[in-house]
Amino acid sequence: MRILKALLWACVALLGGGAFAFLALQRGEHVSAGWLLTAALCTYAIAYRFYSKIISAKIFALDPARATPAERLADGRDFVPTNKWVVFGQHFAAIAGPGPLVGPTLAAQFGFLPGFIWIVVGVALGGAVQDCVILCASTRRDGKSLGQMAKEEIGPIAGFTALVATFGIMIILIAVLALIVVNALRSSPWGTVTLGLTIPIAMVMGLWMRYVRPGRVLETTAIGIAMLALSLFAGRWVADSPTLAPLFTLTAIQLAVAIVIYGFTASVLPVWLLLAPRGYLSAFVKIGVVVALAGGIFILLPPLQMPPTTRFIDGTGPLFAGKVFPFVFITIACGAISGFHALISSGTTPKLIENEADARFIGYGAMLSESLVATLALIAACILTPGTYFAINAPAGLIGTTVDSAAKVINEWGFVLSPTELTTLAMKVHETSLLSRTGGAPSLAVGMANIFAKVLGGDGSMALWYHFAIMFEALFILTTLDAGTRVGRFMLQDLGKHIWAPFGRVSWYPAVLMSSALVVGSWGYFLYQGVTDPLGGVNLLWPIFGISNQLLAAIALCVGTTVIIKMGKAKYSFITLIPLTWLSIVALTGGWEKIFSSDIKIGFLSHATSLANIVAGGGLPVGAKTAADAARMIFNDRLDSAVVAVFMISVVVILVDSARVWIGVISGNVPYVSSEVPFTARAVSAKV
Amino acid sequence: MSSAVARVAVPARGSLLERVNAVVRRIIGAPDYSAYLTHQTAHHPECKVLTEAEFLDEQLTARYSTPGSRCC
Repeated sequence: MRILKALLWACVALLGGGAFAFLALQRGEHVSAGWLLTAALCTYAIAYRFYSKIISAKIFALDPARATPAERLADGRDFVPTNKWVVFGQHFAAIAGPGPLVGPTLAAQFGFLPGFIWIVVGVALGGAVQDCVILCASTRRDGKSLGQMAKEEIGPIAGFTALVATFGIMIILIAVLALIVVNALRSSPWGTVTLGLTIPIAMVMGLWMRYVRPGRVLETTAIGIAMLALSLFAGRWVADSPTLAPLFTLTAIQLAVAIVIYGFTASVLPVWLLLAPRGYLSAFVKIGVVVALAGGIFILLPPLQMPPTTRFIDGTGPLFAGKVFPFVFITIACGAISGFHALISSGTTPKLIENEADARFIGYGAMLSESLVATLALIAACILTPGTYFAINAPAGLIGTTVDSAAKVINEWGFVLSPTELTTLAMKVHETSLLSRTGGAPSLAVGMANIFAKVLGGDGSMALWYHFAIMFEALFILTTLDAGTRVGRFMLQDLGKHIWAPFGRVSWYPAVLMSSALVVGSWGYFLYQGVTDPLGGVNLLWPIFGISNQLLAAIALCVGTTVIIKMGKAKYSFITLIPLTWLSIVALTGGWEKIFSSDIKIGFLSHATSLANIVAGGGLPVGAKTAADAARMIFNDRLDSAVVAVFMISVVVILVDSARVWIGVISGNVPYVSSEVPFTARAVSAKV
Repeated sequence: MSSAVARVAVPARGSLLERVNAVVRRIIGAPDYSAYLTHQTAHHPECKVLTEAEFLDEQLTARYSTPGSRCC
């Protein structure tokens, strides 16, 4: 039996290795997505079977007989012992947001191989490790949050840094997500109407659940989904109407203002009215679409049109500037490793685990699933011809505003694109133009529409599927945006009360309005900066988001390493030290280049200097109409470099602070004190 | 500890529909009033029980005030 199992795993290893070798060595022909999926799934299986066992068996020695917080602290509210499949579903729904869809789509400018290798290797050695270690550590500590653990395990400085980093990443995340929505809906009456309708739909659901059928979540959500389907047709009807269509054809600035107003309103309205019903709707649609996308790709196994690597690995890419190292590792955060997950793994999830041995399946397994979602998104982006992909994703500042100019530039880059090809595609998806819809969402939607239409509905259904995909992406982006704004408000009030006590009163209206305005104003500022940027803004904001997310991951891995060392398991600390080292290198190199690179496409400071030189010479830089515009652009560059600098300093602070603790513990100057809650046996007989 | 503690999120009894309902609700993160009722009656029979609306308010407010319930 043992030999048989060993043989089976050897086969899996050979198959996965073979698929990787094929991908790396093949030249010329379009490879099938099946090779990517084979390589990914085999790697996941081996990583789960062998690597995650080090965490569950050697480090934490997860014990099915040990009572979990869900049992010991059961309160019927947050602490509820729950079946492992249900916790897995809950955890997956919470961690999988727009991140794993957008990052891989953007990173496809390097070709499919760099992003793919990072998604698969990064998750096995980094992302899944982080999620699992933090989940185990938090489960052993009554479900404490990452911030609390950073404070108690490392020290108050680390705790404070974690808090500030969480707030910072939230602001940047919301800004860049809002920008993606703006770019997807710009001059698209169909998309704008469909997404706009989700707001009243959610409110009707909220009112229904409160007054008409209290507590009937599923029934109400089913009605909500039916209304979403109708809104898709309503959008088409408006887009086809010559009188209504111009009313809903909005510019980027108008959309940005609308989103800012929405974010502010959502954060001050009662949660039951808008946020909660929208959250349910989004969770449903999210799981449905992910399953459908997986099904579609597995059935079709489409050939990839994108080459394994493109010439843009040299750093001259149109989506964002910078060489493949370190920028592919910053662009793809969610899907490979995402610091944000540490907040979930130390939030809702540890309070639900009924048997601590489940933590491996939930922590490590759910992250592998998210990595698969990222792989699917990468595939969906790479089944477009490179010409189409770059026409949709490259900013107007580079490819111009007509299909002819775009085709000319893209052909110069060495990719084939005919102007008619693009016009036909835009007509197929019922948009006036697909040029320079930066941010990844539209190209992903085109890819998804391709797949869905092939499985169901044929070419004629492309437009519906495209707008369905846009609605789906925008729906859960807005869900992250409104929930994030509200959470940011509470964090700000919590921080602010140390300066002025009344500011912390969560039910005092002036404080609520002030803190909401501050949070919305912060991300709104970055959003406006992105919207007015001549290069589309995503190239500006996404790398900052990536750096901040990797910073949070570094904090989580520092906490994990500290926990492991304090348990007396220092010899296994490589499990968190490997990803920690890599992320520190990546985040610090990336940050350094963003600030100091002499290439004005990468470095904020050199860009500011070049703008200042233009102004000094009596001219105005592209995108500026007045001297004040130019001054603001220069200020923004300096602001962005300051933001990145704060993130980088935080990484260094947390590394130094953690190293101090590690050396203290290992050298014996600080006693080993485990902060784990002592063992209590489970009352309920343990199932093995 | 009575067996009422264990697995309240997935009621062992009840129709298939009720059980599917409980599972899906937990996955999408909806508060579970019946789990709360089961817990209260089993462990704190002396305490005043929140009404469903009060319970939902309390749960939703908490969910949307701390980071850790939703991700990027």
